[in-house]
Amino acid sequence: MAENPYLPVEAKIEKIIDETSNIKTFVLKPSRKIKFETGQFVQLTIPGIGEAPFTPSSSPYQTEKIEITIMKVGLLTGKLHEMREGEIIGIRGPYGRGYPFDDFYNKEVLILGGGVGMAPLRSLLLTLLKNVDKFRRIVLCYGAKTPEDIVYKEAFPEWKKKKKLEILRSVDKAASGWEETEGLVTVLLDKVKMDLKNSVAVVCGPPIMMKFGTLKLLDLGYQPENIYLSMEKNMSCGLGKCGHCALGKYYVCKDGPVFKYDLIKDVPDIWL
Amino acid sequence: MKFYINKVDWEKFLGQISKTYRIYAPQEVYDELSYQLLSPENVNNTTYGTYRAVQPLKIFFSLPQEKVTVVTSQPEKTIVLGVKNCDLKALQILDKIFLEGDFVDPFYRERRENTLIISSDCYQPKDTCFCTLLDNNPFPEEGFDLNLSPIDNGFLLEVGSPKGESFIASIREDLKEATSDLVKERENRRKEAKKRVVEVNREFKTKRPFSAIVKDEYASPVWEEVTKTCVECGACTNICPSCYCFLLVDTEDGGKFPKVKFWDSCQHTGFARVAADVNPRAKLYERLRNRYLCKYEYRPENFGIVACTGCGRCVEACQGKIDKREVIKKLSEKEEK
Repeated sequence: MAENPYLPVEAKIEKIIDETSNIKTFVLKPSRKIKFETGQFVQLTIPGIGEAPFTPSSSPYQTEKIEITIMKVGLLTGKLHEMREGEIIGIRGPYGRGYPFDDFYNKEVLILGGGVGMAPLRSLLLTLLKNVDKFRRIVLCYGAKTPEDIVYKEAFPEWKKKKKLEILRSVDKAASGWEETEGLVTVLLDKVKMDLKNSVAVVCGPPIMMKFGTLKLLDLGYQPENIYLSMEKNMSCGLGKCGHCALGKYYVCKDGPVFKYDLIKDVPDIWL
Repeated sequence: MKFYINKVDWEKFLGQISKTYRIYAPQEVYDELSYQLLSPENVNNTTYGTYRAVQPLKIFFSLPQEKVTVVTSQPEKTIVLGVKNCDLKALQILDKIFLEGDFVDPFYRERRENTLIISSDCYQPKDTCFCTLLDNNPFPEEGFDLNLSPIDNGFLLEVGSPKGESFIASIREDLKEATSDLVKERENRRKEAKKRVVEVNREFKTKRPFSAIVKDEYASPVWEEVTKTCVECGACTNICPSCYCFLLVDTEDGGKFPKVKFWDSCQHTGFARVAADVNPRAKLYERLRNRYLCKYEYRPENFGIVACTGCGRCVEACQGKIDKREVIKKLSEKEEK
């Protein structure tokens, strides 16, 4: 029989990093190299429990290990959070279409992220930084519920030192010691001045934030074809066959998960 | 290539090949035509020239449930006999999904490659048949290996593929080429058959095509109204020859990462639900509407093929007596009155 696309390979959990009270980053070492493009996703399996799609948060240039940042929201993620370093899970992929970097060359890249939606954006950011000469400017606007809910806390001080990269952060509810913005992540967009003619925007976060983030970008004057969204759907097969991730005529697993907004703007109820 | 073969010779041939192939043919069981495994005892009971079998053709290629992380058996050489055009057309959709794109489903492909399809004309529609509303014909013109048109105590046998041609190689010398009169006679029968389907569906004819109606009437209150009797059983999707959606379920046994692929139904509540219980189609009428959009708008946009062939099985299977033709007619009425 030809190669079986339903079959995962083993991946060892090498390290588990606590990001927040309900978000952990898993450093995985698959038994065979999984080369992915930023924005593509993989399927993680716990035998006998289930399988779910996740987008790696690590740099695609790091091919030995894949890092995946996971919030505890359901059965599978709950089980993952109980697992320990050294245990084995299954991985298959990568699947779908990632970020089309050629479209970003010589432009200002505005990244709008919320909560654990920062996971794929971290991978994006690492890719942009690796090729920083090709981009005019990178602006990251990131929001979380509280300062404790911010992921990659240790990475931010490093990123702040990078040339061409500006970072703005907000929290919905500030705590003592928080010196940055308080409010929804969209308020950060009022603070940045982008050269709209030469800029693309990338959005990833919870559905409600995706919606208002996109509407705000449109308000600011971004054209739908310059807004890139990472759409969340419940991919089951990841292969463009099972139908679960339908978004209008598209299957998010093969036509996405990264979509230009103009491609899907007329699909009914895309924000749910 | 078109030949004539009489019924006795044909059945003799089936008897010979049944040693090499499992042959499934439509036979009457409890007032329905059902695919039965052919044996010397029942070979004469096959019904060729009427409507489609109760089971959709997909059951031979995409199994209702199947282990996909271990290979449990080698596909056997199979023949499906008496397949109707509604099922052949629907198989085009499944082929697009399972054989094309970035990934091929190896289980589907193996079964497809090991199966010969011998279709036949449909001269007697059911009152639930509506292929003509979707510009389909009740007789096959492509997609078969062999086609049988019942005629004069035998069949006009048409070869549709190289696979079909090599299949009849052993009897090829004994076959008479079909005369032009016979071919003409078949055309007449086909025309009559089509008329009958058109007649059955006279009251359901709409001015706009189904694709335009489901798209234009997206916001119509009719969707909610017609969904009232739906009990969310999933019969319409299970019985549909072009529905292919499935769910991978992790199970206990079958290799390191055992997974079973089950037919799934987009009509079930959780079909599209994502993490943290967010559901893009939480309401039943939204799911029903999406099914119609899938059939008449989305798949045609993807593949240029309408994903409903008018086989009418969903009309018969529906516990809530939802008739697709009535739904479309109702949706269309506002503008067409």
